[in-house]
Amino acid sequence: MKLTIDGKTVSAREGETILDCALRHDISIPHLCTHSALPPFGACRLCLVEIEGMRGYPTSCTTPAEDGMVVRTDTEALGGLRRNILSLIMLEHPSACLVCAKRELCDQYRPEAEKAGRTTGCHTCNNKEICDVRVMAEEFGLSELPVPPIYHERPVERSNPFIDRDLNLCILCGRCVRICRHHQEMTAIDFIGRGSKTRIGEAFGRSPYEAGCQFCGACVDVCPTGSLCDRYAKWRGRPERRTATTCLFCNAACALELQSSGGELIGAKAVDETTPICVLGRFAIPEFLYGAGRLRVPVVRADGSLRETQWKEAIEAAAEKLRPYVGSGFALVCDTTSTLQDRYIFRKFAREVMRSENFVEIEPDARGASRVELPPGTKAALLTGDFVDAGQLEPLELLIVQDCYPTPASEHADIVLPVALFPEVDGTLMDVSGRERPLRKACEPPGQARPEWWIVAEIAKAMGAEGFAYDSVATISREVGKSTAELLTERDEAPPAATDVKRRRAYFRGHRIDEKVPGLRELPLDDAPASARRVGVEAESAGGFRIVQKREVAPNIHEIVIEAPGIAKKAQPGQFVIVMVDETSERAPYTLSDWDAEEGTITLVVLEVGHSSRKLTVLREGDRVAHLAGPLGIPAEVDRLGTVVVAGGCYGIGAIIPIARAMREAGNRVIGIVEARSHYLHYFGQKLEAICDELIQTAIDGSMPTKGHAADVIGEKLRAGEKVDRVVVIGCPFMMMLVARETQPFRVKTLAALNSIMLDGTGMCGACRVSVGGKTKFACVDGPFFDAHLIDWDELFTRRRAYAAHEVRAVGRTESVALHACEAHGAGAAR
Amino acid sequence: MSSLREAYRKAQAEWQKIENSEVPLFLVGAATCGRAAGSGEVLEALRSELDARSVEARVIEVGCLGLCSFEPTVVVRKDSAATVCYGNVGPDRIVGILENFVMGDDPCAEWALGKMSPGELDGIGDFYDHPMLRRQVRNVLQNCGLIDPENPYHYLAREGYRGLLRALELGPDRVLEEVKASGLRGRGGAGFPTWQKWEACRNAPGEPKYLICNADEGDPGAFMNRSLIEGDPHAVLEGMLIAAFTLGASQGYIYCRAEYPLALHRLEVAIGQMRDLGLLGQDIEGSGFSFDLTIKKGAGAFVCGEETALIASIEGLRGMPRPRPPYPAVSGLRGKPTVIQNVETLGNLPLILRRGPEWFSQYGSESSKGTKTFALAGKINRTGLIEVTMGITLKDIVYDVGGGIPGGKALKAVQTGGPSGGCIPAEKMDMPVDYESLREAGSMMGSGGMIVLDEDTCAVDMAKYFLSFTQEESCGKCAPCRVGTRAMLSILERIAAGEGEMADLDRLGEMARTVKDASLCGLGQTAPNPVLTTLRYFRKEYEEHIEKRQCGAFVCNRLLRYNIDADRCSGCGACVRACPVDAISGERKKAHVIDQETCVQCGACLTACPDIYAAVYRRSGELVRYEERREKAEKAI
Ligand SMILES: Cc1cc2nc3c(=O)[nH]c(=O)nc-3n(C[C@H](O)[C@H](O)[C@H](O)COP(=O)(O)O)c2cc1C
Ligand code: SF4
Ligand code: SF4
Ligand code: SF4
Ligand code: FES
Repeated sequence: MKLTIDGKTVSAREGETILDCALRHDISIPHLCTHSALPPFGACRLCLVEIEGMRGYPTSCTTPAEDGMVVRTDTEALGGLRRNILSLIMLEHPSACLVCAKRELCDQYRPEAEKAGRTTGCHTCNNKEICDVRVMAEEFGLSELPVPPIYHERPVERSNPFIDRDLNLCILCGRCVRICRHHQEMTAIDFIGRGSKTRIGEAFGRSPYEAGCQFCGACVDVCPTGSLCDRYAKWRGRPERRTATTCLFCNAACALELQSSGGELIGAKAVDETTPICVLGRFAIPEFLYGAGRLRVPVVRADGSLRETQWKEAIEAAAEKLRPYVGSGFALVCDTTSTLQDRYIFRKFAREVMRSENFVEIEPDARGASRVELPPGTKAALLTGDFVDAGQLEPLELLIVQDCYPTPASEHADIVLPVALFPEVDGTLMDVSGRERPLRKACEPPGQARPEWWIVAEIAKAMGAEGFAYDSVATISREVGKSTAELLTERDEAPPAATDVKRRRAYFRGHRIDEKVPGLRELPLDDAPASARRVGVEAESAGGFRIVQKREVAPNIHEIVIEAPGIAKKAQPGQFVIVMVDETSERAPYTLSDWDAEEGTITLVVLEVGHSSRKLTVLREGDRVAHLAGPLGIPAEVDRLGTVVVAGGCYGIGAIIPIARAMREAGNRVIGIVEARSHYLHYFGQKLEAICDELIQTAIDGSMPTKGHAADVIGEKLRAGEKVDRVVVIGCPFMMMLVARETQPFRVKTLAALNSIMLDGTGMCGACRVSVGGKTKFACVDGPFFDAHLIDWDELFTRRRAYAAHEVRAVGRTESVALHACEAHGAGAAR
Repeated sequence: MSSLREAYRKAQAEWQKIENSEVPLFLVGAATCGRAAGSGEVLEALRSELDARSVEARVIEVGCLGLCSFEPTVVVRKDSAATVCYGNVGPDRIVGILENFVMGDDPCAEWALGKMSPGELDGIGDFYDHPMLRRQVRNVLQNCGLIDPENPYHYLAREGYRGLLRALELGPDRVLEEVKASGLRGRGGAGFPTWQKWEACRNAPGEPKYLICNADEGDPGAFMNRSLIEGDPHAVLEGMLIAAFTLGASQGYIYCRAEYPLALHRLEVAIGQMRDLGLLGQDIEGSGFSFDLTIKKGAGAFVCGEETALIASIEGLRGMPRPRPPYPAVSGLRGKPTVIQNVETLGNLPLILRRGPEWFSQYGSESSKGTKTFALAGKINRTGLIEVTMGITLKDIVYDVGGGIPGGKALKAVQTGGPSGGCIPAEKMDMPVDYESLREAGSMMGSGGMIVLDEDTCAVDMAKYFLSFTQEESCGKCAPCRVGTRAMLSILERIAAGEGEMADLDRLGEMARTVKDASLCGLGQTAPNPVLTTLRYFRKEYEEHIEKRQCGAFVCNRLLRYNIDADRCSGCGACVRACPVDAISGERKKAHVIDQETCVQCGACLTACPDIYAAVYRRSGELVRYEERREKAEKAI
């Protein structure tokens, strides 16, 4: 079959669509709803083409190629249509960053996404670094929207223990619905509603589990936007490394792509997108690797108590203590989750070094449990997991445990040795059908943990044995005569747990997996009834400070009024307070947006960006925050200067209010200039209007009468010769830097509030260190206001990025706990 | 086998009872529309009165004659020499008719629409000469209102199923030829030649083949299909048999919206009767042709009228269209060749087979043969369900059939094709009503909605109205339709609010073309038509909204300013009490004023101001409008 595409003659396969045929011949046609693992759908309409003899513009993803067809993919008409279609799609997507005129500069200063509750633009989107939509918008040269975009104002849904769903981003490509139907044969999720109210969700308001979700995560993997994401990996950005390996949670041996950054595992997904994998492979691995209590350091018992030590000492101690049992009463117990190479070494060690026949290998049962009784007469044992009942361990004379987490056995042991787990090692394993599958190292083991074979070989060498001088898994494989095993990248049938989450394994080497992976506890197991254990955090103390009022004034931006008479009495414009939501919370600084000395209340405008701010914003009226300290910081200097511009962005729109008011009261003409990415992110318009002599609200995406950044407006005014005597700006560093750049040539003194870079607000953490005029200052004690022309912005951004990465890692670990806390409070709107 | 022949014999007898009824006969229009107009009470009053007077009579509930503005209608046959159709019959009138006409000599000419019997009758004109009927050609609707739709013998007596018998005799190939020769095109919207779909389906590999009757009728204000099913269900079902036989389809579905309970009931009853008569099941009439039928209830989503969405819905999936090709005729229901045909298309088939393709094609224009039913509504004197030959001009429909515009107002435009169509301005009333002309004018035939608009209609408002419908009914699958309709609506809303700019008109046009060209299914592809046609024919109005902030029709609220004429105002304070936002002030007995800043343009003051003063007037841009009430009130005094 031959056809012509853009003048090029190409051959098509039977049943192939025009799109597939074109892509195969390196002719690119934009497409969004089509996905290689899915049947065509024809919803996004971007892949339109012209075909001679056919009316209109058929979609290439659904039209089968036919002999003799003449197809055009790049006419002017098509280009115009496609751009219009994309701009329509972008009307239902937080697209301000895509049409922002300062996009390049922004990417240069902050290439990674910043965390936020709901995503309101690429800048706060977890998908930013890997987004096809973004690339497409750039290719199309999208630079404006025909009408103001619509923000759906949907709460981020977190009812799925592993997946966050932010439908404010959804473009309804239907990939998730289709992969679900394909993988699970029923749809846990579907399109709901009609017209512009159409959305993705579980029918009849059911929970994901009730609706049939098996937590295979395929929907997350096919979603082209940041709408669906793996909660753990959410803010990790683009992984530095991807490694194809095999999952070892069970012997189905699914091929996994493990993703890591900085040697740390961040996520996993199926290699074969046409067959689902189970919840353990898709979601449980990082949390299982980095759960609390993971063994990291060798430990030796001395004088009755366990003591951390170095490998050398631990190995020598083990060799020493084992020597008496050579040829008498030694047993080594492992299970088949150790690699073939590990087990080869175990056996060789037991037989040749310890001269014992008691090498016990357990095949875990369907639940993954591996329990055995020790061979009679065992006096000394080496265990690689929690396999033996405590009663049997009591009488032992010597117990050595090499494991990943503490167990009753390790509590009891004489020596405990930390092992590396399967994503951290190379090796070979045997799948359920007896085929060998490869394990490839995808990340670094934590602390001093080492591969199992290495540990035992070291002990053997220390005992003076010959033939244990291996330097890698490869050398063992060579000795065993293993050929290279292949990944199981295509399978006819999904593993049982992938289509029935109840049938997943519950144990790994005797450890309950769900102890380390809290999300799993919400999902029932075959033999155990669903125990939706929720770690509720009740607002326990009646002490602290009461929240009098709370509302979300714009997506992610919350106005919170707190009873704090002491602070309200002393507060001055520009000052901030430090909040600790509960005893264990981080200390977080927030600018005072208003206060009422008579009522004894203060008002904060809180931008929901991270862990601490989320904890604060999920609270409700009547709830209390544990600690509140303030007012802190040096108040803004307020004088009669003439004309003062107060500029704000994000939370700064609220935070500039006291300064604007004070400036006005001091007799200045106050021009308020507030910016937001889009119209729906503006708030406090009326309040500002009442305070300012002139108010300009701008939208970066052109959805308000004034388009662009606050900096653009200020620059324009200055260039037009307007006299401005002072500029005070509060917003994100990028926004403040842009303002500084505009005012500098005109030598208009500009004060920037560096609140947003503080972490603990006490001068202790050093996160807010800035260079101002060549001197090091701390924003929290010397600020928050600094001369914006003297701030070393480049250094500030570099420092910020380092801290952001650090924070993201911290959030990843605490996320699940936070989720439970939010749900216990019924705070559906929490991010 | 012989059962049908026997049934015909029985049918003659049954029909005799109607034609030559020894007792008085009452045919009460009791379809959905008649019932809504009160035919239930009429029936009740009639029955109890007959009882009370011990008058023996035959009362039959029939379908609709299509005379909506005269509902309820009752046809009364005293004897074969005196049959009269009455309009606007309430319980009192029916008693009057019984007393004066049936039991006396006075045919109540003042209530009569016309006589249906030959001969003179007290100056009552012929029913078919009634101005509303004179220009109509009632072919498809020939039985509606005249037979008992739940009595199969009535249908049989009027040549029912003779078309099927002829088809069985001719064989599929020749039936296809006849349908081709007739020039029949689909009545459901697009006007696709029926024979072409059939041929594609016949040639497509795959068994079984399916036939679906599309009775989803989702256009707001359209009820042609409902009427036909309620008044003459067997006509549609016979059409289905003919089509199925030609296609070789063994299974048929009728997809009917659940909001049509009476139609669904009539279909169920009729299907039961077909089974009794051996017209469904194995080896129908010894022809070897087997066929069965299932009714599927639709949930009333407009998009489910679209063929592929309808198929998805029958398959139990969400009613979402899918791209074509493959066309349903090749791969439709469950992936098998499927023909979907509108109710009215099917209703034409028995006639074509019975009377021949030449008879059919004598009606209509060059490209559009036969007749077409329309639901005539809006600002017109005589609303109703009409059937006219294709090619008739819009003017003839509006002025002859519909009797012109009420209140001496001027005609502004006619909207055909419902929300998928466009409006055709008054200057184009000489345009013939056929598929091509309508499409050229930017509209479409659609399934038969026809809304007449007078000078009080605002073009912007009208586009807004239709677009808000399609916007809500969009299935949400494809971006141009889902987002584009909403974006266009938001532009229209801002123009109607006086917040538009001239560049909006280009944006609107550009967006409309994108939605038209890029949408997946007919809903989206046609949704911009109301916008495109109003922009084309009434651009000046759009410009006035934007530049002068003026709505010439005084419809767009936000462009209206309410004022009080100080010379007329008596200071009675009625408006002050009516205003919900306290925008009106003034001392008692002195002229009042409306504070424009506070006013929300609700119009309460306008209504509240007593007729004798009628002091409240409206402004829009440069225009000022006083109500006529005062003049009327003065005249009354
Ligand atoms: C959104 C949409 C709604 C439709 N609704 C109906 C309907 O209610 N009834 C109908 O007969 N055809 C409807 N159609 C047209 C049908 O898709 C189809 O053209 C028709 O059933 C074909 O039958 P015909 O050839 O007999 O006209 C609709 C089309 C679209 C795009
Ligand atoms: S999905 Fe996220 S990164 Fe991609 S375009 Fe949307 S907001 Fe930007
Ligand atoms: S959630 Fe993602 S995959 Fe699903 S429809 Fe929306 S954008 Fe597409
Ligand atoms: S055009 Fe509209 S109704 Fe049709 S598929 Fe697209 S969204 Fe659905
Ligand atoms: S890729 Fe073809 S319509 Fe989306």
